[in-house]
Amino acid sequence: MNAIQQIIGWMPALLQATGVTLALSVTSVLTALVLAVFLALGKISKNTVLRSVCGAYIFFFRGTPLLMQLFFLYYTLPQLVPAFNIQSRFLAAWIAFSLNVAAYLAEIIRAAIQSIDKGQLEASTALGLTHSQAMRLVIIPQAYRRMIPPICNEFVMVLKDTSLVSIIALTDLTYQTKIIASNKASALVYIPAMIIYLIITGVFTVIFNRLEKRLSIYE
Amino acid sequence: MSIIKTENICKSFGSVDVLKNVSLTVEPGEVVVIIGPSGAGKSTYLRSLNHLEKPTSGKIWIDDKLIEDRVNGHNQVKLPHKERAAILLEMGMVFQRFNLFPHKTALQNVMLAPMNVKGVPEKEAKEKAVKLLNQVGLGDKLDSYPAKLSGGQQQRVAIARALAMEPKMMLFDEPTSALDPELVGDVLNVMKELAEEGMTMLVVTHEMGFAREVADRVVFMYDGAILEEGSPKEIFTNPKHDRTRQFLQSVL
Repeated sequence: MNAIQQIIGWMPALLQATGVTLALSVTSVLTALVLAVFLALGKISKNTVLRSVCGAYIFFFRGTPLLMQLFFLYYTLPQLVPAFNIQSRFLAAWIAFSLNVAAYLAEIIRAAIQSIDKGQLEASTALGLTHSQAMRLVIIPQAYRRMIPPICNEFVMVLKDTSLVSIIALTDLTYQTKIIASNKASALVYIPAMIIYLIITGVFTVIFNRLEKRLSIYE
Repeated sequence: MSIIKTENICKSFGSVDVLKNVSLTVEPGEVVVIIGPSGAGKSTYLRSLNHLEKPTSGKIWIDDKLIEDRVNGHNQVKLPHKERAAILLEMGMVFQRFNLFPHKTALQNVMLAPMNVKGVPEKEAKEKAVKLLNQVGLGDKLDSYPAKLSGGQQQRVAIARALAMEPKMMLFDEPTSALDPELVGDVLNVMKELAEEGMTMLVVTHEMGFAREVADRVVFMYDGAILEEGSPKEIFTNPKHDRTRQFLQSVL
């Protein structure tokens, strides 16, 4: 059939673009996770300055559209500070996504840590554990499990939000699909593209579910 | 020589006075049971002994060492952190809601603090934990997670966990209040054995049978203050205070 042959013909380009989408999502979420741990700990710390700084960060990145943050980083910042002229589109997208996603993940981590019963901290203190030992050995290991479902959710959102990078002309799956659609004047290409998105989110959902099960053996 | 001594402990939350000049002394080897109606400040008092609550004012000596002298909520005693921590370790605490670590097995719960606080090698910590869990009748539950244990079993793990730090005294904060009635006996038996072995114990409880049988001294608290104290016999058969009499009538 003509349509199927057409779709097969587009696959190499689509798969290559899928690689960009995947790489951007995974690296952004991983970077954001590291940042988010510090933001979350900062936001629950007793230090007022640290708490306000982390709070302001989260307020800013959650309070403005990701699309504008991307614009700002790629177009506005170089105009203001020439030294910040990021040549690589991928690098720019990666930085913007990492910074943005970190704000959301920080709130997930903070909520998970604060959802642990305060009796756990009391028992740790009564047994002589220091605050950091209590966090490391008692609180955070329990918080992990509670973070998994919302992190999975966030990851799936990021994966789809990466389609925004087409506005800085980074060839991700969505951008490539649009190129094919206009060049070949065929809207059929949206079908394989959506299926690819579905497969990726499906695979990651399964991975996260397994992880959650493995971490809940004690319940 | 006293193991716990407090003088005029006061605690207020805003304008509410939860503790009003509570002074109490516990001698080594003594079992002191604090009884009284809910809201009398029993738990708050117990928790102020090991820093889970900060008194507004008053003095606390542990093992004859002054560790707190609070004025307007500020502690006047400046002890090096290490020294303070070491003194606090002389007290083991058992909570109403057990507070076991749910992600650790019974054995791991008992081993955690000795290994991480005292630096006891794993093998030694394990031997000790196995021995303690056997002692509380849970030798067959070593690898069970708390969620798989009954409330009574969880509380006995919690007792073993506190004992693993080799405290000089044990504080029990309503240890059987969260348990189904048929599970209370097992926990009380473990506590009784502990008392017979000579452990110093300060127990907040509503179990009057335990107080009568095991306590050397019973303290009645009401409205943030100690109303009277005496031998179980004195308190239970001949209370001096009307409040005490009313309370005992309502619970016995």
